[in-house]
Amino acid sequence: MTGATSEPEILADVARILSDFQGREYSGPIGRETRFFADLGLASIDAVVLGEVLQEHYGRPLPFGDLMAELGKRADRDLSIGELADFLARNL
Amino acid sequence: MPKLKVNGLTLHVQQAGEGPDVILIHGVTGDLSIWFLCRAMTELAATHRVTAFDLRGHGYSDVPPTGYTSADHAADVLALMDEIGASRAKLVGHSFGAVVAMHAAVLAPERVDAIVLSDPYFPALRHLEDLSRWNHWQAFHQEAADAGVNLSGEHWYDLGKFFDQVNHLDGERLLRFRQAVGLPGLNRLLKLAGTTAGDDSKVEAGLTTDLILGVRQPVLALYGDGSPFLSTAEYLVEHLPNCRSVLIPNAQHRAPEENPEAFTAALKAWIESLDEAGVAAEGVSR
Repeated sequence: MTGATSEPEILADVARILSDFQGREYSGPIGRETRFFADLGLASIDAVVLGEVLQEHYGRPLPFGDLMAELGKRADRDLSIGELADFLARNL
Repeated sequence: MPKLKVNGLTLHVQQAGEGPDVILIHGVTGDLSIWFLCRAMTELAATHRVTAFDLRGHGYSDVPPTGYTSADHAADVLALMDEIGASRAKLVGHSFGAVVAMHAAVLAPERVDAIVLSDPYFPALRHLEDLSRWNHWQAFHQEAADAGVNLSGEHWYDLGKFFDQVNHLDGERLLRFRQAVGLPGLNRLLKLAGTTAGDDSKVEAGLTTDLILGVRQPVLALYGDGSPFLSTAEYLVEHLPNCRSVLIPNAQHRAPEENPEAFTAALKAWIESLDEAGVAAEGVSR
């Protein structure tokens, strides 16, 4: 994977990975507003595992520890797919 | 995801950093993500090799039908240390994970350099606490009732009874409970509820008061300042040979979630003070 990865490409990557994540088939469309926990029904342990999958996919370490800690400070503990894509775009 | 074979079970393990070993142990019904959400994983990894794992029955680890006492989990911790090549480690546990950490120190004192106890009560020391005043439980009781699970006052602390009810939810009540905890959360809880974990977490399993009080390693009792278990914290400071306490402001039983910044700052400061004092290098003299 080369460095120049555009945000729409990242969003498409994330949507594809989540559509069959850990055997969980999510049939609805996944967009920027889709929420990781409230909409996809995933939990924080799934976010840890997704972080690994994404690091493998992009072939480099990413500061997921920072993203998880940011999540830990939020009252609703939720994250939109758009926020995840922004995080990836900043760090790829 | 990284998985290791431990005591015949496959456990989900996450590692970060290099240096002396720290093992992080979550509580019953939790998983290793707690250590990411409170940033402990990242912060401790600056100076240590940090290993977090999902307890058997939890997260992405195997779910055997039985074997959930603190003795069973402590045996997993020691076998995990074998597997990752850690001859000795500092153990950090939250809630029942802290009971597991203490039990591991009792089973293999020469392999445990120091112990952080985050808000546990011990089955052997249950008499110290007036558990009916546990606000966290009261809130949980209400959440469970709203979701269709009724827990009697008599069995309020009884995770076995709770799991029993979860196992028998049907129709409308199951739907409400599923909405309250989320589908993967419900699936994990149902798997755990089919095991002996609820009842096993209430028994001493050999971790008697005498053995607890025989632990000579440095111990940090890290409790929420509104914890329901402050009597246990006071008792440990008074009776253990080498124990001090730190209270986390604005926290009850779940300081890593309720005040993650203060929790992790206190944890890191204590771990680093041990390193400066040479605890890891010299071990515990006895």
